Amino acid sequence: MVNAYLVSLAATALVMAVLAMSAQLLVGLAGQPPLGQAAYLVVGAYTAATLATLTSLGPVQLLAASAVGAVAAAVTGLLAVRVRGTTFLMVTFGVGELVHAAAGQWAPGGSEGTHTPPVIALPGLAPMVRPGWVYLYVLACTLIIGAAVTVLTRTRFALLLRGIAAHEPRVQATGHHTSGLLLAAYTAAGAIAGAAGALLVAVTRYVSPADAAMGISAIALAAALIGSGSMIGACAAAILLVAVRDWAGGLLSGHGSTLLGLSFLALAYLPRHRLAGLLRLRDRGRT
Amino acid sequence: MSAPLLRLDTVSRAYGARRAVDEVSLDLHPGARHALIGPNGAGKSTLLHLIAGTLRPTSGRIHYAGHDIHRWPAHRRARAGIARTWQHPALARPLTVAQNVLLAVPGQHVAALRLRPRASAAALDALDQVGLAEHAQWPTSQLSYGDQRRLEVAVALAAQPRLLLLDEPSAGLATTEVTRLAELIRALPTDIAVLLVDHNLDFVTAVADTVTVLHHGQHLTTGTPSDVRTHPDVRRVYLAEADPTKHVPTTPGATDPPAAAPPVLRVRNLRAGHHGAPVLTGVTLNVRAGRVSAVVGRNGAGKTTLINTIAGLHPALSGTEIALNDRLMTGLSARRRCRAGIGLVPQGRRLFAGLTVAEHLALPRPHPGRPRTITARQILDLFPALGERRHHRPHQLSGGEQQMLALARALLAGPQVLLLDEPSEGLAPAIVGQLAAIITGLAATGSAVLLAEQNLALALDIAHDVAVLDRGTIALHAPTADLRADPTRLQDVLAVPTGSPR
Amino acid sequence: MGLSGLVNPYTITALDGVAYGLLLFVIAAGLTLIFGVAGVFSMAHGTLYLAGAYLAWHLGDGGWAGLGLALAAAVLIGAVGGAGLAAAVRPLTERPLDQVLATLGVAYIAADQFSTVFGAEPRSVDPPRALAGSVSLGGYQYPVYRLGFVAVAALIVVLLIWLVERSRTGAIVRAVVADPDMAAATGLRTRTTRAAVLVGGGILAVTAGVLGAPVIGPAPGVDTTILVYSLIVCVVGGLGSIRGALLAALGVGQILTLGVALVPGAAAFVLAAAMLIALTIRHRPSLAGRPE
Repeated sequence: MVNAYLVSLAATALVMAVLAMSAQLLVGLAGQPPLGQAAYLVVGAYTAATLATLTSLGPVQLLAASAVGAVAAAVTGLLAVRVRGTTFLMVTFGVGELVHAAAGQWAPGGSEGTHTPPVIALPGLAPMVRPGWVYLYVLACTLIIGAAVTVLTRTRFALLLRGIAAHEPRVQATGHHTSGLLLAAYTAAGAIAGAAGALLVAVTRYVSPADAAMGISAIALAAALIGSGSMIGACAAAILLVAVRDWAGGLLSGHGSTLLGLSFLALAYLPRHRLAGLLRLRDRGRT
Repeated sequence: MSAPLLRLDTVSRAYGARRAVDEVSLDLHPGARHALIGPNGAGKSTLLHLIAGTLRPTSGRIHYAGHDIHRWPAHRRARAGIARTWQHPALARPLTVAQNVLLAVPGQHVAALRLRPRASAAALDALDQVGLAEHAQWPTSQLSYGDQRRLEVAVALAAQPRLLLLDEPSAGLATTEVTRLAELIRALPTDIAVLLVDHNLDFVTAVADTVTVLHHGQHLTTGTPSDVRTHPDVRRVYLAEADPTKHVPTTPGATDPPAAAPPVLRVRNLRAGHHGAPVLTGVTLNVRAGRVSAVVGRNGAGKTTLINTIAGLHPALSGTEIALNDRLMTGLSARRRCRAGIGLVPQGRRLFAGLTVAEHLALPRPHPGRPRTITARQILDLFPALGERRHHRPHQLSGGEQQMLALARALLAGPQVLLLDEPSEGLAPAIVGQLAAIITGLAATGSAVLLAEQNLALALDIAHDVAVLDRGTIALHAPTADLRADPTRLQDVLAVPTGSPR
Repeated sequence: MGLSGLVNPYTITALDGVAYGLLLFVIAAGLTLIFGVAGVFSMAHGTLYLAGAYLAWHLGDGGWAGLGLALAAAVLIGAVGGAGLAAAVRPLTERPLDQVLATLGVAYIAADQFSTVFGAEPRSVDPPRALAGSVSLGGYQYPVYRLGFVAVAALIVVLLIWLVERSRTGAIVRAVVADPDMAAATGLRTRTTRAAVLVGGGILAVTAGVLGAPVIGPAPGVDTTILVYSLIVCVVGGLGSIRGALLAALGVGQILTLGVALVPGAAAFVLAAAMLIALTIRHRPSLAGRPE
């Protein structure tokens, strides 16, 4: 009963899982909720699409998308790391939407978007047209990215980020430039989101400014929150949310947004053991 | 003599017109054990922030180990060897005890995957120094308050500092814990300089070689603990020129205490804490109509916590009973308590930034069920200075005018009991005199007043009875006249630097 | 140098910018006050504008009656919507992220309902016939409605600033922004104030939707666009500041009209730069606790 639609849906879900890991790096580790990760996804996707005119080699597109995503995040992150908590969310949301608007102006294809040829997984292989092969390629890339992220979460860098989430002045007083660390985390998250963009192009063979829409960023953030700090949890939640939006929404004749909205409401009201640091976002040391 | 490790050169920090730290100069040599003391609002914590880099000085220079660091960001100063603790434990609670210490251990690579044996040894070493090595793998949130404070010291020590800044390290600790902390600080390597702020003068005497007294942001004196205790200026600051032995009652209100009236405000077994540390462990007191009751106690004794808990701004722990005219207030919101008749003049005034004097006076409305005890017109008669400054905002007012406005704001709600938290803080003596007359006048017209004061002279001057807050409870509660007759009782409990008889 | 010397295509565009800026201000004023008073970043704020715009399209009949009906309905829907949001975020006090998620959920559900009821294509809303024409401004034709809109919006701005900065109600709101605990201890109803600001912000946003529909018409996605631009206005103007929001809104209005006319495509970068400058000036590195 597995048809092509379901397979490509599963691949899309994996792309969202990668984007959720990017959001989790910021909200789960550093305690700063991003609502603009789709911006770096679309930067990566356009990078991959532009590169597709030169090479169809998927891994090359992936690396380039990741690098450009990181650069875009490093530049725009200068804005985001000046604030914390809810204001961080607001600023990243604003930045994400500005990238969305700029993509409609400047990106190849304008608001119509641009189509790309199928990618090649490894040199010498044929372009991947069948959804099954694309799915396996995306799955392999997701696992590699997931492994890299897991390594990242075991470094001292991740410990410092968790320290920032819990008590930033303390980390600062131990000699660390906390805004710099956050910018590094933001850049890394941008690289992961950029990689997700390249995978998106591999799946849909198409990219448009609509891929930078707030909805994509919102799903990534919500998945990270459901995951409560865990990378695997964020991936699972992202897959679940895509299933709710596209698959269950499809069954209900296109009311995916309503289902997604209900999921967000449920997420807000159902009791969860959220990271203690997140709950103290508004704590500004009032005495 | 070696060059000083830290040199403050006429350092000032202003908030608007107020100078929290006013041209303070200070030298700290390697190995120093230096304490900063002074009444509330003296600028002690601000000075620590200025040295640590979490605040920048408005003017002046800070030299540390040969560098002018007054523009350096906090993390750069930390890297240069300045470690610190906060008034309340600043720890990453979701992390384990060892991870908290590891945050500070230097010489680790940010991208490192594995812990270097040297780093984990250094972390264990720091934990061992404070006696927490067995709890290394515990989640920090499960530590007791005293252990959290010790962990903070361990985090600071793990950074291998040359200068250690401790902000009220003894606050919230039991006596035995304070003794252990003093031993720990004395046993630190002699190349570490320690600068600490504390209210517990016994602790300061046990730890410090040198004590600096600050008052209104200004440097008052520096000397050995015993010098400072007998210094006449220090006596003056702590007792605010009060000499209970020579007191002559000057105000009419203090002479006729109607002690028999039923209490307006009844507080039974009030318990409250901060960040898990118990501050008040069972306060019981009554405030009667027409009387001023003063709560005195050393800095950090919990006077503000008491006032705020009664006003409903600080959560009370179970068992607490607060009643106004036999109506239970416990569990009511701050607004309902205000409507019921509890008026608050908080510490630091807490005026609304950006609102004019006229707007402040337009905000409070008394409960319709109660006769309006005072009108805006009467308020302006009582505080004529406010009438001329109707369109000014708080930051444009002098300290005295701000205090009058805070008092007027509370009075307009028609309170039955007025809570005054350190109303004399930061005011010139002449203004304090005016304030005393106003408070006495309010009591004479039948208001019940609960006054939390550090200014002992003011408290003895206007209160009918004085309660001493110590170690979370009322250690002594007596009519003012009795205390004047026997001043040593008060001094024993307060442990203020009274000096030896001349 | 008369009027004709002043009027050129750029000043006409700048006038459009003033209209756009005032529209953004009316919406952003609610958003910034809601954030200042209740600490809530309402993701459903753009949805309220879109609801108003659809209302104008649905009830508009080309006459004054339709506009009046739409405005009356806007006040009702804005009040109900604001009260609903207040009730929705009430259990989530001190959980700002959950507040964002809850309002986002509401925005999603509403957006889906809008496109089901009103369709996916943009709707154009005509102003009342009496204001449908255009006048000649120094040789250029300019829509009468837009001039009327600028006048009405300016009136709303004046009323709003008076309400916030001169009235007792405004003093209560500002007192709650400055120190909620002390406001409660002064006997003020902080929770009612929070709810009232959400209601007021809702009414403003829906009313702006009705009045602004002939300028920015209803279409799917307009909710997000309006939300983003009013968010940028709030950030640039300083969260919680009404006067800051007015200046920022007028600036953003010019960037989105005159800026686009002068340097097409640069608007996003200019807005990002404006946010960066505002945040750099306002959030100097200081993480310290308050002074003792």
